[in-house]
Amino acid sequence: MTGLFEALRRDGAARLGALVWRGDKLLTPSSLGSKEELEFLKASTTQEGELDAKVIASHRDHKAERIAADVTILGGAARFAKNPRGLAKAIVGARQSANPDSALYVPALATPNNVSLLVYAGIDLVDSIVAEVKAREETFLFAEGERQFDSLPRSHCFCDACRDTDLADLPPDQRVSVLSAHNRQALEAELRIVRERVEQGTLREFVEGRCRSAPILTALLRFLDEEYSYFERRSPITRTSTLLACSQESLNRPEIRRFGERVISRLDKRDGILLLLPCSAKKPYSRSRSHRIILQRLGKLRRFLHEAIITSPVGIVPRGLEIMWPASNYDIPTTGKWTCDEREWVTGRLAQYLKTNDFYAVIAHISGAYREICDDAAAGVGVSLFRTVNDENILSTDSLQRLEAIVQELIAKHSPEQRDLRLDYLHDLANYEFGSHASAAIFEKDVTVGGLFPAYYALDEGTRLATITNKYCTLALTLEGARRYLREGSTRYCVEIDDFVPKGTVFAIGVLQADSTIRPLDEVIVLNEHVIAVGRAFMSGWEMQSSQRGAAVAVRHVETR
Amino acid sequence: MKTRGALTGRASRQTAPARDRNHKRRRDSPAWTGWDLLNGDPVPTLTVLLTTTGCSWARHNGCTMCGYFADSNPHVQSADIQKQLFQALARYGRGFKIVKLFTSGSFFDPNELPVDARDAILSSLADTPKTIVESRPEFVTSEILNDVVKLNQHVEIALGLETSDDAIRNDCINKGFSFSDFVRASENAHSAGFSVKAYLLLKPPFLTEREALEDAARSTRDASPYADTISLNLCNVQKGTLVEALWKKGLYRPPWLWSAVEVLKQAQGIATVICDPVGGGTKRGPHNCGKCDREVLAEIKQFSLSQDNASFTASCNDKLLWEFILEFEEFSYGAPLVQ
Repeated sequence: MTGLFEALRRDGAARLGALVWRGDKLLTPSSLGSKEELEFLKASTTQEGELDAKVIASHRDHKAERIAADVTILGGAARFAKNPRGLAKAIVGARQSANPDSALYVPALATPNNVSLLVYAGIDLVDSIVAEVKAREETFLFAEGERQFDSLPRSHCFCDACRDTDLADLPPDQRVSVLSAHNRQALEAELRIVRERVEQGTLREFVEGRCRSAPILTALLRFLDEEYSYFERRSPITRTSTLLACSQESLNRPEIRRFGERVISRLDKRDGILLLLPCSAKKPYSRSRSHRIILQRLGKLRRFLHEAIITSPVGIVPRGLEIMWPASNYDIPTTGKWTCDEREWVTGRLAQYLKTNDFYAVIAHISGAYREICDDAAAGVGVSLFRTVNDENILSTDSLQRLEAIVQELIAKHSPEQRDLRLDYLHDLANYEFGSHASAAIFEKDVTVGGLFPAYYALDEGTRLATITNKYCTLALTLEGARRYLREGSTRYCVEIDDFVPKGTVFAIGVLQADSTIRPLDEVIVLNEHVIAVGRAFMSGWEMQSSQRGAAVAVRHVETR
Repeated sequence: MKTRGALTGRASRQTAPARDRNHKRRRDSPAWTGWDLLNGDPVPTLTVLLTTTGCSWARHNGCTMCGYFADSNPHVQSADIQKQLFQALARYGRGFKIVKLFTSGSFFDPNELPVDARDAILSSLADTPKTIVESRPEFVTSEILNDVVKLNQHVEIALGLETSDDAIRNDCINKGFSFSDFVRASENAHSAGFSVKAYLLLKPPFLTEREALEDAARSTRDASPYADTISLNLCNVQKGTLVEALWKKGLYRPPWLWSAVEVLKQAQGIATVICDPVGGGTKRGPHNCGKCDREVLAEIKQFSLSQDNASFTASCNDKLLWEFILEFEEFSYGAPLVQ
């Protein structure tokens, strides 16, 4: 029998799921604890029973196969206990060959220390075998690593098993049972945290912290980050949580990289005058004190400018995308000192941005390390900068005066067109979400903009085309907006469903075809021959297509075609 | 067994290095002395490793755990082989009650060991109470034995049965003969008046610790009617073998010494089982936790001479881990739980 596992929530490759397990419901990620459970699963690999389990060998490439069992077992994975490169490859390979409706189990590998990374990589089931082995090696497992019992002072641990026990007084077999109870508890406790983190969508921040405790785990995260497309295909387009960039690995987050790539590949190519500004602690930037002062000073002159913000780790944020996650909601340690990695990454992003667009003047209202980055990037692509800040603060009277003067001078010289700046948000979001040229299709004629920042909407002679949503700051299309988008003949961001009128939620089973570029929380267009609808995706397009279970799209509006 | 696909034909040989091939002819062979049982009494033994042209099975196919082919020499000639023995005898003397001749192949294979060398060696040892030679069963024919018995009546033929389970022998070891081949060879040997020793392998690749233990214990019982002595060989990781490739990938661990102790204990009263672990206590050899290895190895050697379970008195905390592994290793689906 199949159809016993369902992924309920996703955070990148990590999932919260439910497995029908021996007549009960097992919430994953979870640890198989008892010998009965292990035996039950093992029996399911060879006999037809209530559960369908399949073993795949960890040393083979299974990408060609599609495994549709309830549980896929990564056989012999324990051999990767000290081989992060092999482990990353094996998990990613297994996850890609197993159907999304299949729970992925790594036997005999999980510890409290590594389980968060295993789940982050896409594992749904683990077990307490290592906890038991370590107990018999007289080793304590903690979330932050392992310790030999005789190297620890008395009452180091406050868990139920250890609190009132002094291990040194116990005979070996009793010591083992205390250690085993402790180790199992430590694993369970960590799994609880991990489940909650997946629920909140903050597992990445958690594993970036956890992996610090052991070089082998840091290596594992780095090898996983090399699997960019695997994680990108599973990462939501937006989140409500704050992206915390506290480590070197934060720069390699799939969402950070994707943002940078879309800024270059999806936004309209621009010409005119570019004003580069530093980032601010408060987001969106335009609500920060520094940006407000600068923008007020420029006043109506802004309509002639393009603005972009330089920041670590997001890179370059055109003003119109400042409300898009992660630019809208991240935090980094600000010490004024940039690491070489940050510097290199941001310089690269800026150089790329300058190269892709065609600005005839670039003003850098920027100081400190930002300035060096601007200089390096501009020199790299042969652009000369107008610098408006010397050694002073960017808000100093002198620098602001200089900025205003240069802007006026450049406008007088080039006389660029002026725009409604609110349109930037609508256009940039449209392209960022729906692909390049989407804004041209949706807003083909001049549209009027209504609403208060950031919840702008676009009207064409009274018909609403698109609205920036409040919760996620994504651009949601109306049915009219969707029709205009489709007029281009595009099937991107489209979900083709069976012949029914969708109400509320479309489930994966009803999806005939879905665009593979759809990511969780993307705005999508749902259609069949008779109806057209718009809504928000719960899962990636490829997952809608290969999945038999779970909610695929939350439909917002529907109409007959 | 799901591992069948992994083991096609020359799996183990492909990884074997061709070292020693171009070496100059080796004249002096390794030899060492030790103790073994003769009619139940411990006696001094001489073991001589004869370098031959190598095992014919290894040349075409090969066993998954055997790396002895690397010690062969394709240029060796009949006179060289004879000289190897005579040098060892000259060095250690002729007073040994048992002489063991290890050819790392088949002593009775005329392609490996020329008949004149074979005959010269055996006749020179005619007065030794026991001469042990090794051979694959296909060479233990009545024709060959009839020739041999004229020269030496005190030969013991060691047959590498490895296990009584044909599936394990073929799929995990790639041995290429069956239990019935072994039985036939044993009967041939016995009718020629020779004694038979059966080699059993504890822990071929692809088995869990418990499967390996149970297989060796079962094989001891199965082989005992056909073997005067059983030698329990604890698998070790030899260079250039499939076992080594698996071991490097973390997919093989040599047996625990506790498992060997358990097999020996169960054999008491059923068969005479001796065990001389190669590489005991090392990463590539059979080992326990590292703290108790020395003690347990000594007890295993002690048992080989006394055949008495009372030899085993050692205890160590790692026995709890070993017991856990026996029970739970199957749930890792292919990898040992500890190295």
